[in-house]
Amino acid sequence: MHSSVMITSELLQQVGLPAVLEACHCRTHQGSRLKKAVHFYDDQSRKNLEHELAAVNRLTGLITEKHSQIVEALTQLARLRELRGTFSRLEKGGLLDDTEFFELKGALAIFNHLGKLTEVLEFASVNFEDTTGASALLDPCGKNNPAFHIYSEYSPALAEIRTRKKDLERQISQSKGAQRNTLLTKRALVIAEEDQEEERIRWELGAKLTTWLPQMRHNAEACGLLDFRLAKADLAVRWSGCLPQLVDKGLPAMLVNASHPEVAAHLEKQGLKFTPISIELHEGTTVLTGANMGGKSVALKTIFLALLMTQLGYFPVCESLQTPLFDFFAFESSQEGDLCRGLSSFGLEAVNIRDHFRRSKTERGFIVMDEPCRGTNPAEATAIVQAVCKTYGKSESSFFIATHYPVSPQPGIRFYQVRGIRPEALQQLPAYQAKPGSEQEEANEPITGISTMIKADQREDITRVRRIQNLMDFRLEEIEGTHAVPSGAIKIAELLGVDEALLLEMKAAWLED
Amino acid sequence: MNALTMEANSGLLDLAGLEDLQSLALIGMSKNAGKTTCLNHIVSAWQTSGRTRPLALTSIGRDGESEDILNGRSKPRIYIPAGTLIASAEDALQRSDALLEILELSDVRTAFGEVIICRALSDGYVELAGPGASEEIAIISDLIRQHEPDCLFVIDGALSRRSQAGSGLSEAAILAVSAGTSAIPEILAEKTAFALELLQTPLINSEIHTDLEAAIKTHPTARAILLNQGKHQVNCTAIDLPSLVGFGQDISKELRKNTFVLLLRGAVTDQVINELLKEPHFASLVLVVEDGTRLFLKPETAHKLRNRNIELAVLDALDVRLVCLNPTRSNGQLLNPQPLLAALRQKITNIPVVDLGPANM
Repeated sequence: MHSSVMITSELLQQVGLPAVLEACHCRTHQGSRLKKAVHFYDDQSRKNLEHELAAVNRLTGLITEKHSQIVEALTQLARLRELRGTFSRLEKGGLLDDTEFFELKGALAIFNHLGKLTEVLEFASVNFEDTTGASALLDPCGKNNPAFHIYSEYSPALAEIRTRKKDLERQISQSKGAQRNTLLTKRALVIAEEDQEEERIRWELGAKLTTWLPQMRHNAEACGLLDFRLAKADLAVRWSGCLPQLVDKGLPAMLVNASHPEVAAHLEKQGLKFTPISIELHEGTTVLTGANMGGKSVALKTIFLALLMTQLGYFPVCESLQTPLFDFFAFESSQEGDLCRGLSSFGLEAVNIRDHFRRSKTERGFIVMDEPCRGTNPAEATAIVQAVCKTYGKSESSFFIATHYPVSPQPGIRFYQVRGIRPEALQQLPAYQAKPGSEQEEANEPITGISTMIKADQREDITRVRRIQNLMDFRLEEIEGTHAVPSGAIKIAELLGVDEALLLEMKAAWLED
Repeated sequence: MNALTMEANSGLLDLAGLEDLQSLALIGMSKNAGKTTCLNHIVSAWQTSGRTRPLALTSIGRDGESEDILNGRSKPRIYIPAGTLIASAEDALQRSDALLEILELSDVRTAFGEVIICRALSDGYVELAGPGASEEIAIISDLIRQHEPDCLFVIDGALSRRSQAGSGLSEAAILAVSAGTSAIPEILAEKTAFALELLQTPLINSEIHTDLEAAIKTHPTARAILLNQGKHQVNCTAIDLPSLVGFGQDISKELRKNTFVLLLRGAVTDQVINELLKEPHFASLVLVVEDGTRLFLKPETAHKLRNRNIELAVLDALDVRLVCLNPTRSNGQLLNPQPLLAALRQKITNIPVVDLGPANM
């Protein structure tokens, strides 16, 4: 991954980029290589990105109408093999074996087929060079047959040797014992001659094909590009992606009904639907608040993924999206710390805050932070969050933060909140009731191993959490001025059966605050 | 070659009923059992008979090399006529001297390179090095049939082992047996008859076959599938395991009193069965395996199964058409074939037993 994206691999996984790459099915090695290279388009390469997205957009049209040339192109691409080894051997003047000649013959036939699919090539903005001369070298009889061997037509000497060999083989098939052995020995001598002549032809053929190497390489790369663009277009159609509109720097990124493909697919399996998210992200700071379980983290990841996909040349999963081109992307969410390396979460956060800020001084970034300082004392955490929001508020970067800490209005800071659960809907939920006898059942369970550490009624809790989640309105709405610190957490704790004494203390403390 | 072997050779195709077959596996009871010699006889008989549909040859692992890579002794080579199709790995093709036209690259990789489908444009020697896994053999079979739908596809087993040569890939088989298994005629006959019994384990009845096929479709990676007779219907339990060996307990604990079928997918060895025998519910049921080549049991283990009222059955029955004797011991010593043939024929009465003699190479 290019350093234009500052993110840990674990977080990138959570954001869902690997799932996007996996869902983008390339058929050729050449296309897969382009995909794995993960090219990031910044403002310097705006023209290239526009060109890329326009080509993908045109192909989506052909895919949707199931154009016959698309089917033909995909069939041909699926047959193309990795050619780098063969090209490299040709370039170094090495001796090719029959398998490699066969491979080249097959590839040249594919180039020839694809070169005729003018509509697809024009839409994909890909061009092929004429390599029919190279094809003819590998098909001296002009049979248009995909098979290959060192043909007798390559040299009169070879034809003469093979005639002699055939005559011997005819005699061998009719002989037995000592006579047969004598004939087999004679045949072995003829085969030595044949091998020698075949090798001479292989060198000669290789040398002739080397002159076609630039055109063959160009066509192999063209196959990769066509394959990758077709795969992106197919993904855009399957996921209902949109052609993003690239706007000038200074203008806001605007996402309408963005969806997270991986989360949406997961929800769909449970019979649930992803609530699309809309937002406007200006230069400066955007603060996202909302109740617990409101989907703030999912919102951050959805928006980050949509904008990142755009700058990687993919169609984001949105109804519409416009965005300026950022110089870099950064995502910070050190919530769990790094247990394996024994690093504290705040230590990692501080390092990332430092690095992102340093970079934002010279470059325009899209910087996302998911609930920073959650393990820090609230007074200092509030100060840190406030300071970061205020500083980025004056920056040309777009800083997008989800937090529970209060942020006071400042120039350059905008506020969004997750709509959350309407209080009256929350009141309608039945109160928590402990399952009668559950403690007894737990006591009867054999006390062995790690299973004793897992609650027996965990499944019931998960169902209850899901029921609360179903009441949640995950949409984002912009709010003016000072945002209220989100509430509802105590009510959720109550619905999930936190003990009454503890609840009373919580409520008293909340009122006091 | 004596009169007996001459007679056997001339009528080999009729004797083994190869004419109408689409596929054939050569199975060896031990290493150097004589499979390659048998293959050469088939190739030669096929050519002499003037049959127009071609042979297509492949091997599970490596075969047809001039020397045994394990002991350095010379081995029979495979000599094919023009028109024969072969599926063999790149390195093995380099050591073949027939003029070969490449028809297809299979994408199936072996230690000797990618398996390539070729057609011989001249007579000549070939070395076969095919894929190791039965799924890969199926891929090769499909590719070959794309070029020659009507060919007789012959699969030569590697290192003369019985494993994997069946797996529903071939309609029929020829069993090759050598004096390497035993030089004593009666013992050789006893062991061969038992091997045949396992190879020809009968097909499971169609109702259970349908249930098991459905269960495999639903649980394609399951190693063990149990069918339990419920009050009104048959219940199925599928168990995913890394292998059968060493996981007998995981299977045992799922066995119930009403389990009436246990399907095991993979090699079923004495060890697997002995682990299962510890479970009292492993009794009065049908033990199903994919095909007879999956059973690696000693006679005493088979006896223990019979005592528990456990019946053996297969999903794909293997039709063994011929038993070929190679009267050579593993040290290369050639024995008088007559007593061995006599003992084998006395014990095996429903399948022809022949000594084809050395092939005309």
